[in-house]
Amino acid sequence: MSDSLIDALTKSDERHVVQATLVSASGSSSKKIGAKMLVGESGKLLGGVTIGGCVDAQVIEAGDEMIARGGRRLLDISLDDDEAWEIGLTCGGNIEVLVQRLAPSDQSDPLIAAYAAVRDALAHDRGVVVATPIDGAGGALTLDENGTSVGSLGDAGLDAEARAVAAEALRAGSRDATVTTPAGSRRIFFDRFAPATTLVIVGAGQIAMSLTAFARELDMRTIIVDGRERYATRDRFPLADSIRVGMPSEIVAAIAPSKRVAVILVSHDYKYELPVLRQLLRAPVGYIGMLGSKKRGEAVRGLLRDEGFTDEELGRIRTPIGLDLGGKSSPEVALSILAEVVAVRSGKRA
Amino acid sequence: VSAYRAIVIEHFRRPRNRAPLPQANRAAEGANPLCGDRIRIQLRVDDDTITDARFMADACALCIATASLLTEHVRGLSADAAAAIDGTWVRTSLEGDPPAGRARCAMLPVDTLRRAVRQAVT
Repeated sequence: MSDSLIDALTKSDERHVVQATLVSASGSSSKKIGAKMLVGESGKLLGGVTIGGCVDAQVIEAGDEMIARGGRRLLDISLDDDEAWEIGLTCGGNIEVLVQRLAPSDQSDPLIAAYAAVRDALAHDRGVVVATPIDGAGGALTLDENGTSVGSLGDAGLDAEARAVAAEALRAGSRDATVTTPAGSRRIFFDRFAPATTLVIVGAGQIAMSLTAFARELDMRTIIVDGRERYATRDRFPLADSIRVGMPSEIVAAIAPSKRVAVILVSHDYKYELPVLRQLLRAPVGYIGMLGSKKRGEAVRGLLRDEGFTDEELGRIRTPIGLDLGGKSSPEVALSILAEVVAVRSGKRA
Repeated sequence: VSAYRAIVIEHFRRPRNRAPLPQANRAAEGANPLCGDRIRIQLRVDDDTITDARFMADACALCIATASLLTEHVRGLSADAAAAIDGTWVRTSLEGDPPAGRARCAMLPVDTLRRAVRQAVT
């Protein structure tokens, strides 16, 4: 679930909200396990468990029913459609969607309490897993990347087993699993919440402006970095999470590096590129991209190679930056950069 | 290759004194607001003599080369002598005039140094 969806749920002023979570999928499903949709008492909709169409419609229908009735239910939905099959437009497969009613203001609701822990973890840039039963009695248990765990699934033995699976889910992603204890077997959904990708954008020009706008839609945080007060302004970057003016290499060095940090050099000026790259090439950031031609990229690598950086370290610089979408305008270049960041993050591009 | 160009490239590729100075007791930062050059000059001044001078910069080759030359030059100078450095020293040290429109890149370290000699580190 994205930060924005968690925020919407925990801050909702609606008495009841139904949360639908994609817990398993076979065949083709365009959404990731853990994808969510919120259905509000007022009829509001947020998110989705599939890319839309008739499947989300079924989930909304079930959600509307559960707003009134309460409880928890597992929907088993076929993605096959006889007519669509005839014309070759069916997706095919099956999905399971866990639908449950929550009272956002009720802190005694185990899942609402768990989401408070999720918000805290994400605010501190830590991943966290929430374990909730798919069948049987309710409950919720969290496991934070820092090792802390809150809540319970109702049985100490089950909690211990669930924590072990949750630790695996922290690394590998959301999954459902059957957890067996002497008391029996339970099917549990392990919902992994990962902190947002942070884009560190060096160079407060036109491309950076488009990057901050698109990043907002992608639930990515943005930090604008420049040495020029006149460029790096709130007027120009109303959607940036942070605007930092100073020596770019020092600003970048002060940001805790992690695989969730993507550094995008769009200053197109060696005065920032070289000192920033010196800070980054040995830091464990997830993405380093630099605007410029292949020839310019080679020149920058050459200078840094002379300073002792290895080919492996220099190979981390993606230049020309972005997937080749053919666009030339600033928004089009920004789109190609974010496309590459997403591709790298999801392992589709090495 | 002109002497000017050779000096700039040499000091840009192998800048002298580009490092933080933890024992600094004088320092200043400067910036060229439109091109984005940024520099910090740190000095150690004992008994009115500059005993150490270092700089950090995210800046162009000309600015870094000037800062490199300047921090070498000021060691042993009095604060007043350092504050009196001007464009003539820059032209002499670089063995030529910066290209048109680039004078401010070369003068940024000089202007920053003039402020640094008077500015105690708090």
